[in-house]
Amino acid sequence: MWNELLFAFQSVATLPNFLAMFAGIWGGVIIGAIPGMTGTMAVTLALPFTFYLPPVTSLLLLVALYKGSTYGGSISAILIKTPGTASAACTVLDGYPLARAGKGGKALNMALISSCIGDFISNISLFFLAMPLAMFALRVGPPEFFMLMAFSLTIVASISGRSLVLGIIAACLGLLLATVGEDIYGSYRFALSEDMKSGLGMVPVLIGLFALPELIKMIVFRPEDNSQAMKLGDNRLTLSEFRGSIKSICRGSVIGVILGAIPGIGPSTAAFFSYSEARRTSKNGDKFGEGELEGIAASESANNGACGATMIPLLALGVPGDVITGVMLGAFMIHGLTPGPLLFQNNLGEVYSLFIGMLFSSLFLFIAGKLTAGAFTKISRIPQTLLLPCILILCVYGIYSIGASPFDVTVLLVMGIVGFAMMLLNIPAAPFLIAFILGPMFEDNMRRSLAISRGDLGVFFQSWISWGFFILTILFVTLTIRREWKKWRDRRASAQSAS
Amino acid sequence: MDGAYKKKRSSSGNTATTTQGDMKMFQKLKKAAGVAAAILATTTMISTAQADAYPQKAITLVVPYGAGGASDLAGRALAETARHYTDEQPIVVVNKTGNGGMNGARFVTEQKPDGYTLLLSRVGMALYPAVYEDSPVAWDDYTFLGILESTPMILAVNANSDVQTVDDLIAKIKDSDGATTYAASGPTAIDGFSVQALLSDLDLDPLTASTLVPYKGGSALAAALLGGHVDFLAIAAGSLMPHIEAGKMRPLMVYSPKRMAALPDVPTAKELGYAQAGQVGGWSGLYAPKGLPEDVVAKWTEVLGNVATDEQWLDLAAKRGSTSVIGDDDPSAYVKSQFELYNGMAKKFGYIQ
Repeated sequence: MWNELLFAFQSVATLPNFLAMFAGIWGGVIIGAIPGMTGTMAVTLALPFTFYLPPVTSLLLLVALYKGSTYGGSISAILIKTPGTASAACTVLDGYPLARAGKGGKALNMALISSCIGDFISNISLFFLAMPLAMFALRVGPPEFFMLMAFSLTIVASISGRSLVLGIIAACLGLLLATVGEDIYGSYRFALSEDMKSGLGMVPVLIGLFALPELIKMIVFRPEDNSQAMKLGDNRLTLSEFRGSIKSICRGSVIGVILGAIPGIGPSTAAFFSYSEARRTSKNGDKFGEGELEGIAASESANNGACGATMIPLLALGVPGDVITGVMLGAFMIHGLTPGPLLFQNNLGEVYSLFIGMLFSSLFLFIAGKLTAGAFTKISRIPQTLLLPCILILCVYGIYSIGASPFDVTVLLVMGIVGFAMMLLNIPAAPFLIAFILGPMFEDNMRRSLAISRGDLGVFFQSWISWGFFILTILFVTLTIRREWKKWRDRRASAQSAS
Repeated sequence: MDGAYKKKRSSSGNTATTTQGDMKMFQKLKKAAGVAAAILATTTMISTAQADAYPQKAITLVVPYGAGGASDLAGRALAETARHYTDEQPIVVVNKTGNGGMNGARFVTEQKPDGYTLLLSRVGMALYPAVYEDSPVAWDDYTFLGILESTPMILAVNANSDVQTVDDLIAKIKDSDGATTYAASGPTAIDGFSVQALLSDLDLDPLTASTLVPYKGGSALAAALLGGHVDFLAIAAGSLMPHIEAGKMRPLMVYSPKRMAALPDVPTAKELGYAQAGQVGGWSGLYAPKGLPEDVVAKWTEVLGNVATDEQWLDLAAKRGSTSVIGDDDPSAYVKSQFELYNGMAKKFGYIQ
């Protein structure tokens, strides 16, 4: 093994490999930071180039793009309140308030450091735990998946802001919107036009909901101070701030690795999950959503942690979990490599080269992130009156470029109006979006489980994984109800004493 | 009209006033190009096309399913190979997914029939209209350029299963009173029809004799069987071969006219006497919008003729577990027979009246 490792190290440590990786990560960071352009797009666009590169170089390029774009999403989330990728949706909650308070640089540094640590931990796990994690992932069938999604949906309680009721309403609307289009059995719901048959795209909904309402607000209300740029205050991340978040970073990375290894879950769910966990357990939990660095740390460490881990089912089982790893599977096949158990027997050299190459990605991510974030921080000095129209143009072009579909742009604009209405009614956007993302997984796995058991609910309680998530869900819901009840009682008591 | 004519004349006048040195240079270049072309023609045996002939710019090949899947790989393999025969004009693969592949198909039929937007079609383009009468695109709303490959499907169980043969599986299905489960993309997808055709051949009710569990995409289907969440499935060979080779799955039967080279011991559905299942199978084709000009059709007939014997194409097809069938059948007759086959099954299974 050591001989092979040494050999792999020699073969991977070449200038073209490092160049491909650095270019991939940097390109990924920039693409991820532009709202409307996603990692999926970056990887798909890069695929034809990989036909002409050696296998290891091309795979490193694709992996690097994926990692870069997952981090890049946090830059726009923090600076312009628009998650560049869905997995940065929770980063907005604390990142944007920090940027408004003149601490954008601090937030960006926290996001970068947690992303790099998450990335590093997931690379290490890929190296040492690929097989056990893949075997665990295979045991997650539809009932376990459903229970996991049920638990993930309880995050709504953590991100609802001031009113839980409004948060639940938002989540219900999100779940409802997720049902548009073809269901898993091939019947159509709310298919008012031919385009709606394939459902609403996640990116247009995401961008419409987060980016456009700010712009509409400015047009409608014409605030006086709109030419004022954001302050740039202290940008350095102090050691004590980092120390305060280290627990959340480690926990987030582990959550990311475990959830990322399960095919079909992906970085977004991991980030939501980790954010919710951090909020529940942190002593600063109540401040989450008002600009708490720990929230950024939890969300960003988990999404990058999941990123490397999505390679686990791909390499160990030959099962890609999402679109990006699907494209990578194609890249493997084009080079005559078949991912799966046989890859470790037949192409051990390539596997080790890939692993060792990926270990360097954390370092590259740090450098590329530092360079890019530094440049992007200047965005916050642009007056809002100039910045927001530019964002709108970027969004429209970005969304159109995904599938050259005017329908996606319509969805973007309509969701912008919906988002504005929600803003006026104080309905939070984050629970809506998260329910919209989790909804299909929640519904599909419930229906799959019930198909397998032919309607018997017992199917949800047949393994310890399902039981585990079931108990967690019940516990979390009970705690939330108790908290709300206490709040309500206190408010009533103070109202009575006032009268 | 008049203006355009004048413009053309004045521009040709400009070329007439070019200096003699330029002319010499131009002739030299022309000569060099001629020599290069001759070398190219003799080494690769391609006839060089006229400068103004199709194609003049990049060609878009729409793949109606997701990146990384069997159809995507077929499309990218075609794009890579055919590029050498399209006067070096690149072929750009675009994935337009959704609605069982009909989104991409509809997009292509709405484009100008100029040969610059083509569709990598799959059996779904014949199957969908055969099952849904309100299909956005009919099975014959295209110009058929060719059928590219046939992709066998495999009936498989998890290697830990006690089922060793098709007969074992049938006995298990009959005993279970509908409780056995199989994974498929949907009841009316090709991998749902593969199982339902087999059940129908056995005089079982294709819709209730075994329970369908829907998953999205070949790898999710394979993972469901790998994790033991369903009892069996019958899906495209490309998604299953790695797992069969790794000894994690057991192949029982092949849906293909001939036995697969990689699985010489596994019988075909036809050999086992299953009339309907014996006709089910996947394939890829190349379609264009209706009304494609004759010269473009002729060009593609020539290109596909070259692709058919191209080492790279055959090699990539073998890696996917497919057999190249370019030129074996008349495409429109083949697609018509496929439409009728699945239309008949859809009626028999009760999807349409």
